[in-house]
Amino acid sequence: MALYRAHVLVCKGTGCKSSGAAPVYDALKEEITRRGLDKEVMLVETGCHGMCEMGPIVVVYPEGSLYCRVTADDVAEIVEEHLYKGRLVQRLLYTTPEDKVKIPHYRDIPFYKKQFRIALRNCGYINPDNIEEYIARDGYVALAKALTAMDPEDVLAEVKTSGLRGRGGGGFPTGLKWEFCRRAKGDKKYVICNADEGDPGAFMDRSILEGDPHALIEGMMLGAYAIGADEGYIYCRAEYPLAIKRLGVAMAQCTEYGLLGDNIMGTDFSFHLHVKEGAGAFVCGEETALMASIEGERGMPRPRPPFPANKGLWGKPSNINNVETWANVPSIIREGGEWFASIGTEKSKGTKVFALTGKVNNTGLVEVPMGTTIREIVFDMGGGILNGRKFKAVQIGGPSGGCLTEEHLDLPVNYESLTAAGAIMGSGGLVVMDEDTCMVDVARFFLEFTQRESCGKCVPCREGTKQMLLTLEKITSGKGKMKDLETLEELALMVKEMSLCGLGQTAPNPVLTTLRYFRDEYEAHIKDKKCPAKACSALISFVIDAEKCRKCGICAKNCPVDCIAGDRNTPYVIDQERCIKCGTCLEVCPFQAVSKV
Amino acid sequence: MKDITLNIDGKICKGTEGDTILEVARSNDVYIPTLCFLEGLTPIGSCRMCVVEVENNPKMMTACTTPAQDGMVVSTGTEKLRDYRRQMLELIFAGRNHFCMYCSQSGDCELQDMAIAHGMDRVRYPYLYADFENDATHRDIQIDHNRCILCLRCIRVCAEKVGTHTLDLQKRGWNATIVTDLGRKLGESSTCTTCGACAQVCPTGTITLREFAYRGRRKDCDSVVESVCPLCSVGCRIKAYVRTGSIARVEGTAVNEPDGGQLCQKGRWTLPRSAERERISVPMIREGSHYREATWEEALDLVAKQFRKAHEADSDGVLVSSLCTDEELGLFVSLFKDGLGMERIDTFDGDVLRGFVKGFEPFRKQGVRPFTAAHKILDSDCIVNLSADPDEEAPVIASYIRVGVLRNGASLVNISCSPSPFRDITDVDAVTKTPAENIRLIEGLAGMVEALKATGGDPEKTVQVTAAEVAEKAGLTEEMVVKILGSLMDSKKPVFVLGGCLSRDPATVAASVNLAIACGAFFDDGIGMVPLVVSGNSLGTINTVLADEPWLGKKKLDFMYVYSTGLVPEDEASLSAISGSRFVVVQCPFWAHPLVNLADVLLPAPAWFERSGHYCTIEGERRRLSVVIPPKGEVRGLASVLKDLSKDLGVTPEKPKEAPCGNLFASEKPPAAARMVSLEEVRD
Repeated sequence: MALYRAHVLVCKGTGCKSSGAAPVYDALKEEITRRGLDKEVMLVETGCHGMCEMGPIVVVYPEGSLYCRVTADDVAEIVEEHLYKGRLVQRLLYTTPEDKVKIPHYRDIPFYKKQFRIALRNCGYINPDNIEEYIARDGYVALAKALTAMDPEDVLAEVKTSGLRGRGGGGFPTGLKWEFCRRAKGDKKYVICNADEGDPGAFMDRSILEGDPHALIEGMMLGAYAIGADEGYIYCRAEYPLAIKRLGVAMAQCTEYGLLGDNIMGTDFSFHLHVKEGAGAFVCGEETALMASIEGERGMPRPRPPFPANKGLWGKPSNINNVETWANVPSIIREGGEWFASIGTEKSKGTKVFALTGKVNNTGLVEVPMGTTIREIVFDMGGGILNGRKFKAVQIGGPSGGCLTEEHLDLPVNYESLTAAGAIMGSGGLVVMDEDTCMVDVARFFLEFTQRESCGKCVPCREGTKQMLLTLEKITSGKGKMKDLETLEELALMVKEMSLCGLGQTAPNPVLTTLRYFRDEYEAHIKDKKCPAKACSALISFVIDAEKCRKCGICAKNCPVDCIAGDRNTPYVIDQERCIKCGTCLEVCPFQAVSKV
Repeated sequence: MKDITLNIDGKICKGTEGDTILEVARSNDVYIPTLCFLEGLTPIGSCRMCVVEVENNPKMMTACTTPAQDGMVVSTGTEKLRDYRRQMLELIFAGRNHFCMYCSQSGDCELQDMAIAHGMDRVRYPYLYADFENDATHRDIQIDHNRCILCLRCIRVCAEKVGTHTLDLQKRGWNATIVTDLGRKLGESSTCTTCGACAQVCPTGTITLREFAYRGRRKDCDSVVESVCPLCSVGCRIKAYVRTGSIARVEGTAVNEPDGGQLCQKGRWTLPRSAERERISVPMIREGSHYREATWEEALDLVAKQFRKAHEADSDGVLVSSLCTDEELGLFVSLFKDGLGMERIDTFDGDVLRGFVKGFEPFRKQGVRPFTAAHKILDSDCIVNLSADPDEEAPVIASYIRVGVLRNGASLVNISCSPSPFRDITDVDAVTKTPAENIRLIEGLAGMVEALKATGGDPEKTVQVTAAEVAEKAGLTEEMVVKILGSLMDSKKPVFVLGGCLSRDPATVAASVNLAIACGAFFDDGIGMVPLVVSGNSLGTINTVLADEPWLGKKKLDFMYVYSTGLVPEDEASLSAISGSRFVVVQCPFWAHPLVNLADVLLPAPAWFERSGHYCTIEGERRRLSVVIPPKGEVRGLASVLKDLSKDLGVTPEKPKEAPCGNLFASEKPPAAARMVSLEEVRD
């Protein structure tokens, strides 16, 4: 095997790719070859590093230096300076937002410093298209251990010891779920991976699929072995073409290495895996709808019981977990359940990946031990609020989650604490909001999503969310009445309790939590006809301060509806009747004379 | 099955393991409201009306889907539940157009009933005034999406009972609507069979049948008469709704019956429409190119005179419809066969039935019933279509076949001279070029299956006949024969649907039964054969009016008495024989052309809804045809007409034998006792 003195890792996850990683990779390849370094420096395509905001990301080992926002034009310099002369390219290093310090080492960046990576341990580190790189990182060691030295019951016991809980939303103990399926009567059983990641802004599953597909495959095989299944399905959304491609490559390599198919590793264990592409319905993330979709039916949930563990895919006992859950399994078997259980809190073990987005400096994926506080995630790793604004709330758990306030900043994140506060762990979406965010509008936004994605089967979800949305729209447009809050709350509680599946049961969460923590904002919309965050266009108006106006006319020139009048001698004035509140004048005014009121 | 005990609202309720909470409640007379639930269809728990609270379970459970467990404590009517249910109804009413006063189903609507029962006197949510485009493109069925509550009953009945999957759901959330054929209009649908099952199960005014709208609510009808559809050999049970002396609608029975309670487009439309047809209301006598009205005495005198003359010259014949009841057939037999000793009495399509009888005879002699109830197709894992075209011959059978294949996972093999009528769902389509090749194929298959079963399926040991030889004889490829064999050998319970056209040839019938026996097609009521004989009481004609030898058209007769129900068109051969007769008497309820044009004397007859009696159906049941509306005017029952006629003829017929078809093809031995027979036995 050839030895290289340096490895250049180019992230080719979806995020970095869309910000231009492909030309960077090509340029690097060309430049390294041109300089004759191709025998000494190895260029590797990897999956996602998580800090997509800073992409395209290039990491150079052995130093472990991370270069941000690299373009093809920077390549010559990186090769020349770093690979040829051994000097870091300072201008491309990560710079902290507050004190502008350049950080040379990957691991010292605050975003990564507090992370503890189990599910994401290989993401951004190995070439996902090369099974040998996975094997070199102890890949399939757990499978070998299980198949040769452990009974299915031992594997099950290990997972139960680990305390792993479902990472897709519900947080049901994984070991227990497996046990139900293992104990269910049936000659044919299935394991299924839910890779229909539909929460807006969440992409941890995609990162694993794209960056470390073998971890998922190995996890599913371990699960199948423990449960007694010989066939599996990965239900992956079709909007993840790269993930599907990499899964295909990984599965082909597994088959080639005898890791998929009949008599794996020469044992009696056989496992066949299929990828099923979802057609883009949020509700198909619900396990029964997902299975209906695999069967070729319209993706609609059905009531439980019977539970999938007894009657799942094609009526056979089936076990379904999401990508992140499965990806945790190999480490648990390899390192032992006790090790996993030593991480996290009393009832929530291990780590959780969060997709940190919104008004925060460092957005991206972070994997932290359970029990980490929201403050640590938002301020330490996320680098605080964008543009130095004030923190207002954080929305946790995707559209089904809830909004938590400043008082929850020191809340250790785990399943119980979040549920108690009215949010849910969900798949781990974490949207940070600053003082410019209107909480009523946030509730409306999430509800608009869930009501649009309702399958329409059950009455509370179909009709209830629609009525709730209409009420919220009424409030945000300034036509609300105090009685509407009562109706809204009553509806929300009914929908939560009466809906058939998780989608409907959690859809009211954003409404209920904002009503609970930000009721004053709702009341301001209704009573004062004001949006305190100045976000609801119907309740704000733009005015030009005559004192500050320098009569330059830029606002009038840019106004799309031509509703600003004035001239060199008279200050400009906005005709409120005709103003569409687009905010263009505010943006273009060079003298900050325009303000929102 | 273990017995379980539940406490529902404080009442101790007994049930069986596997029952749902709703089933236990209903069997113990505890009322739980439901909307989307319909017994016989897969419960989906979507309307949430049946939610109940179960002790120690924080979640609301839908009674229609939750399995009952021993010791469960269930509350069905807490204040919270009542509030939630009313809220649910209000949401439904606010969502779409449920303004009862403008709806043809008002008073006949489950949603309306539910709202009244729950005291829903106002809707606290704003009306959303849904504005979905309605589908009025179909001639008979219309869909008003604005009245839809998305209970999905229509979709379920279309998939689970009719098997056409014409209806489905499109779009999401509040915009979800029923859709036809992935987006076509119903009138342009290529899969809809116009059976109307969707409208029958619709709880609101969403899917309605134009002809029945505003003809009377089900509840307001003067009577609902259970009867039987005479139009094909299945003999589906029907419910006829009568209001102010006319038939307001005809429906199938409940979908939870073993046969699905279905009705095809023939039964759904032909029966009620026939009540509007022009009737022969008084006896008529031909005068040149016209008919003139006559009294019964005059007409019957003329008939008797002509008849006596022809009878003496041995030039008379009687043709009777196989849509007659057993009792009517018995009357004909007692007068013409027993009383007058006539040989020339027969039913239309006698040739089909003679072949059928002859083919089945050797097996009947063995004491086994050589066929099974038609709906047992649903229990089969391999359906073999032998030259049948069920969508034409007996559409409900086509439903059974589709549901058998699509839902129950049965394989479908077509062995015919024409391609399978079930184009997209046929696993093996073996089309032979000639009927001779067809019978050789069936014969060869029977032999091979028998041999393979005898050797335990070891192909090495099967030496007498090879697939190649069978293929050669049948003009098919060897691969095709092997494929058919594979399906037959893999099947534990195959069923064979015998097309009416094959019944003419007794050898083919016998060969088919042989094949069924070889394959072990044994059902609890007989051998797995479903013969599609011609009409409602074809089986009943077999030991009554059916002639032993064909006589029709062999000789120009001086007198012909024809009794038709006017519901199905007469076949060409019969019509030409009738027109060749010198004096023709036609007794028929309707002006059924061209038959009535051939008559010298026309006698009124009661229509299907004015008669009663029994049918011998291929469902294996003797089913009762009941009087829906009593006959009016000069229309007289057959018994009284024949009584007068026999008086004129000077004979006193004996009382007809009871239940002529009762013991026909009775099952004395279990079907597994059946033995294959030599085809020479049945060949002419």
